[in-house]
Amino acid sequence: MLEVRNGGFETTVQDYPGRIGMLSLGFAPAGPMDDYAFRFANVLVGNPPGAAGLEITAGGLVVAFQDERAIAVCGADMGARLNGQPIELWRSYLVRAGDVLEFDYLQGPGFRTYLAVSGGIDVPPVLGSRATYLPGAIGGLEGRKLHAGDRLPLGEPTVDPAQAAGRRVPQSLVPTYAGYNEVWELEATRGPQADPDYMTAEDMAFFFSHQWKLDAASNRTGYRLDIHKWQWARESGGAGGGHPSNILDNGYPVGAVNVCGDQPIILCIDGPTLGGFICNAVVAKAAMWKLGQMVPGWSYIRFKEVTLEEAIALLKRQDETIHESNLERS
Amino acid sequence: MTEHVTQPSGVILASYPERNGRPGVVYRNAGDSFLLVEFGEMVFDLTMSFRVLGLDDAIKRNRPAGLIETIPALRSILINYDSRQISPRDLIDFVEDQYEHLPPFENLVVPSRIVELPIAFDDKWTREAIARYVQYQRADAPNVIDGTNSKYAAMYNGLRDEEEFFSYIMATDWWNAALGFFPGLPFAYPLDPRYAVVLPKYNPTRHWTPAGTVGIAGPCLAIYPVESAGGYQIFGHTVPIYDPQQRNPAFRESPVLLRPGDRLRFRPRVSDEELEAMIQAVYDGTYQYVIDETATFDVGAYLRFLKEVEPEAEAFRRRQADAAARVPVP
Repeated sequence: MLEVRNGGFETTVQDYPGRIGMLSLGFAPAGPMDDYAFRFANVLVGNPPGAAGLEITAGGLVVAFQDERAIAVCGADMGARLNGQPIELWRSYLVRAGDVLEFDYLQGPGFRTYLAVSGGIDVPPVLGSRATYLPGAIGGLEGRKLHAGDRLPLGEPTVDPAQAAGRRVPQSLVPTYAGYNEVWELEATRGPQADPDYMTAEDMAFFFSHQWKLDAASNRTGYRLDIHKWQWARESGGAGGGHPSNILDNGYPVGAVNVCGDQPIILCIDGPTLGGFICNAVVAKAAMWKLGQMVPGWSYIRFKEVTLEEAIALLKRQDETIHESNLERS
Repeated sequence: MTEHVTQPSGVILASYPERNGRPGVVYRNAGDSFLLVEFGEMVFDLTMSFRVLGLDDAIKRNRPAGLIETIPALRSILINYDSRQISPRDLIDFVEDQYEHLPPFENLVVPSRIVELPIAFDDKWTREAIARYVQYQRADAPNVIDGTNSKYAAMYNGLRDEEEFFSYIMATDWWNAALGFFPGLPFAYPLDPRYAVVLPKYNPTRHWTPAGTVGIAGPCLAIYPVESAGGYQIFGHTVPIYDPQQRNPAFRESPVLLRPGDRLRFRPRVSDEELEAMIQAVYDGTYQYVIDETATFDVGAYLRFLKEVEPEAEAFRRRQADAAARVPVP
């Protein structure tokens, strides 16, 4: 059992890859916004990479342990302390009954951090996943973020916690996060409704060269970027509606850049699954983790165009990277 | 079969022209995990949905390794796949093969449940949402008359009054072509073109719509599964179509009531008080949803029906167009 003493700003149970197979009923997959840090945290404690853990947004979480476990914290630095002593990110530790892990608020770049516990969080799966999907109020603990007083059941570790503890992700595999007001480079392919049918080549050139500001009104459903007056390749949306950004409703890829009128919105893992606006680009799946560490209201994004083949190659390389064989004993 | 790759932007991965009376297909790049399959032209043609659902069914029955799930919509299927297991090229070839072997469209008989839903018109929930809109968002909205959208809806479609508008909603079955945006939200289109009302969207969109609200924009009817923002003209309220707590036997298998290819039928018409009791009974587990689970839909018979009623449908469309030209758009 994991006892929550303070839920912090927004802490949720997530697993990876989330709730799969429900897109056609309107359920986004949910799961961790930064799956790179999330999966590595699990690998560090000897869990399968997708096991359920906690996504801590902005900080403030305090938890107490009731038995011996391996734990790891990966992601943004929130000044985590175990029984008052600072612990390192991207490293596994052994905790015992009565130990308390506290997170402060953001100490530097990044926005989310992940806590993996050996055995994983054992809340009941809903529709095949433990991931919390806030817009649908399902998964995780009662479909909501955590509060003080919550108690989270833990699974049986498959690896001896003492063996799993004391390992680290080598520095070369720890990503650096762009700081406040710095620019993230985000790999993306052109999307289904790019040029020349929906946007002009000039629109797309602008899209891939502009430094987009991430709006403060951004969350796990969508990342809003700044307003831009597009040229558009069409006069109107035809049967889809009056505006040239309108189309007859179709499915939205997870990670698509959805242009609603003048505003591009990156559809995140809790985002809408279907709708009637164009998608001019799709973030490479291997780059989706970066969204999780951007700071709404502060970060800038420049999209780097990759081909479909390059995006697939990135994905394969990422799978090889997030692997136990790459860990070091510390 | 002639293939032509048409665009230097790389957005269109493959396209095949119309053949043997079957609409052309375009395969659009949708990132490293999605592929958008699009049929015909961007016009509103409900019969396209039958082909789409027929093909979607075939794809799912014969799914190759690496195909994760599909999102069918009115004229497209978005395929979610694992590009580490199946290449985009192989996936396209697979879909083409399924499309080639799809039985002639006119012979399709597809499973299509009939779901009866009680409805209260110009109910207290709808009036509350509209009152808030007028008070906090737009006092001079032309689509609000006497605190409702239904008088406007009647005017816009050339109907006598809101009662005639309500009778049109109940006179036709509604084909649920897709679910999405929010969990369980149906995108339903009128099957009887003699009663196919059309309406423009809100401007600006509404900040608040209660769960259970029934609305229309363009030709499409939606039921709001959760409390949310919204852009459709609203005029009625029905029983829950989404229950994350799965409190009624109808939600035992899934928190979502409806499926793509369902036909919705609004009956009986009830008062606010009667509906309130029904909603309570849904959560008590005693309400019995009226669903014909074994019903099928015969596309050939439907096409013959369309031909029969075409003169009347055309007369209604003319009446609508005349009326709409005289009514201000929000």
